[in-house]
Amino acid sequence: MIPLSYNVRSLVERRATTAAAVLGIALVVFVLSASLMLVAGVEKTLGGSGEPDRAIVLRKGSDNELSSGIEIGSVPIIAAAPGVRSGEGGGLVVGEIVVVAAMEKLGGAGMSNVLIRGVAESVFRFRPEVRFTRGRAPRPGTDEAAIGARIAGRFRGLEMDRTFELRKNRSATVVGIFEAGGSSFESEVWVDVETIRQAFRREGMVSSARVRLESPAAFEAFEEAVEQDKRLGLEAMREIAYFEKQSEGTATFIRVLGSGISFFFALGAVLGAMITMYAAVAHRQREIGTLRALGFPRGSILLSFLVESALVAVAGGALGSLGALGLGAVRFSMMNFDTWSEVVFSFTPTPQTLATALGVSIAMGLAGGFLPALQAARLRPVQAMRE
Amino acid sequence: MSEPIVRLRGVRKTFWRDREPVPVLDGLDLDVPEGSFEALMGPSGSGKTTLLNLIAGLDRPTEGSIEVAGQPIHQLPEGALARWRSETIGFVFQSYNLLPVLTAQQNVELPLLLRRLPRAERRKRAETALRIVGLEDRTQHFPRQLSGGQEQRVTIARAIVNDPKILVADEPTGNLDKGSTKDVLDLLARLNKELGKTILMVTHDPHAAERATIIRKLDKGQLA
Repeated sequence: MIPLSYNVRSLVERRATTAAAVLGIALVVFVLSASLMLVAGVEKTLGGSGEPDRAIVLRKGSDNELSSGIEIGSVPIIAAAPGVRSGEGGGLVVGEIVVVAAMEKLGGAGMSNVLIRGVAESVFRFRPEVRFTRGRAPRPGTDEAAIGARIAGRFRGLEMDRTFELRKNRSATVVGIFEAGGSSFESEVWVDVETIRQAFRREGMVSSARVRLESPAAFEAFEEAVEQDKRLGLEAMREIAYFEKQSEGTATFIRVLGSGISFFFALGAVLGAMITMYAAVAHRQREIGTLRALGFPRGSILLSFLVESALVAVAGGALGSLGALGLGAVRFSMMNFDTWSEVVFSFTPTPQTLATALGVSIAMGLAGGFLPALQAARLRPVQAMRE
Repeated sequence: MSEPIVRLRGVRKTFWRDREPVPVLDGLDLDVPEGSFEALMGPSGSGKTTLLNLIAGLDRPTEGSIEVAGQPIHQLPEGALARWRSETIGFVFQSYNLLPVLTAQQNVELPLLLRRLPRAERRKRAETALRIVGLEDRTQHFPRQLSGGQEQRVTIARAIVNDPKILVADEPTGNLDKGSTKDVLDLLARLNKELGKTILMVTHDPHAAERATIIRKLDKGQLA
């Protein structure tokens, strides 16, 4: 085999064209990795928002809390269903109202929807993962609000001790900022459920009811009991499944967009790698002829140039991945297409995103390098050495 | 007279230029005795290099048979021919043809990479070859750090590292000054005498040709 040092040093020798090809591939890998990391971030934020021992109940046919409505009288019936863990004064259940409000984004980015959740005081017992980083929980019956950490400072008025308009002529004051394990709750505003009920005229209704189950395995019995009562017209889901379904639309959108852009970039990068390798073959005809004369078979020449092209690609892949990893600190706000409200995501690198990036870069290198390598392997030694 | 190591019979080579046949070698017969040092002379376009390339297995005759070191090479398929070259022929080129990004040592090691040899053994053999050509103190130099004469000696080290039976040298002194020319010719003569290598050298230079034991003249595709 022709030694690897021959390829490495030849690449270094022609560093300008090598760098151009490396950058082309790096750009593709950057875009692809960024979109994959964003998909992973979306899945982590939305998909990671549920707990295995919780179930959500919506009106049958609703696929999210915004379009769902349950009569408030059904909540005690749900709480009494089999499998629900009992707490003080009955089953552990919360009935919540979910609405969206258009708010002004800071930094002149226009208006966007923010998800507002009407919560009972018991919500903090129900969701022990919620932790206040500043301030405190809103008091029942007041116009106080708690906001998620990811949304804090992104909209006008959504900052500690500031006031924002819940609705026209109805303002609320931020008294606390909370974290919820990186889940989508961190992109929500929480206000007392009765305040929301009045402000948004949702008398006698909640959007959803959530229950704590005795164990994850208790879900089947609970689901059967809730869905059996046709008068209620309800549908039960595991909380995890609910959020996963919510992340599907957004994740698919990013995946398709990211792959689409990457694909067209990749065509350019493959062409770039091909031009670089054709130039390398043309420049090194005499060397190829010499190697052939010395007895290196065509396969060795082919392999050597493929390896060289793959080296360029791996360098590009590493550079692009590093750049994408740099996005880890960036928070990215975008519309969740299932709730039409803003959710803040982060770029989350995973072993899969890195492996995919590396695999794609090598594939690009081989695709770009194949024809030039074939040309090199086909050179006749006598003619090649005459160049 | 020993058995010929190279035997050509009725060798014809025709190139095609713009669909016109250009005959270069015209029914050539040649016997090269083993262990000889032959110089091939002749005007430009007389077919010297073509003849050398045919004997070295770099090109194929249009017609006729070529037997080198007991092997009829005109029949060998491409892959087998490449392997045969690596085992039988050492090449010395006019413009050295060293790989510029490899050191002298690595250039000399190249032909050994085609054999299953441990790294240490490859290194040892390359060092021996470089010592024979008097460049044991230049092993880690790159070609651009060497003079023309030194580069040609590295090429000769590369040519002998596999211990081939035959060395083919195409204008080996064509790019060298007087002093280096003498060094290279001395070296070739030594390889012929001391190591018994059969050497076929194409040259324009009558002084270079005088160092050979046999001088052949080629004209219009025929040996004179």
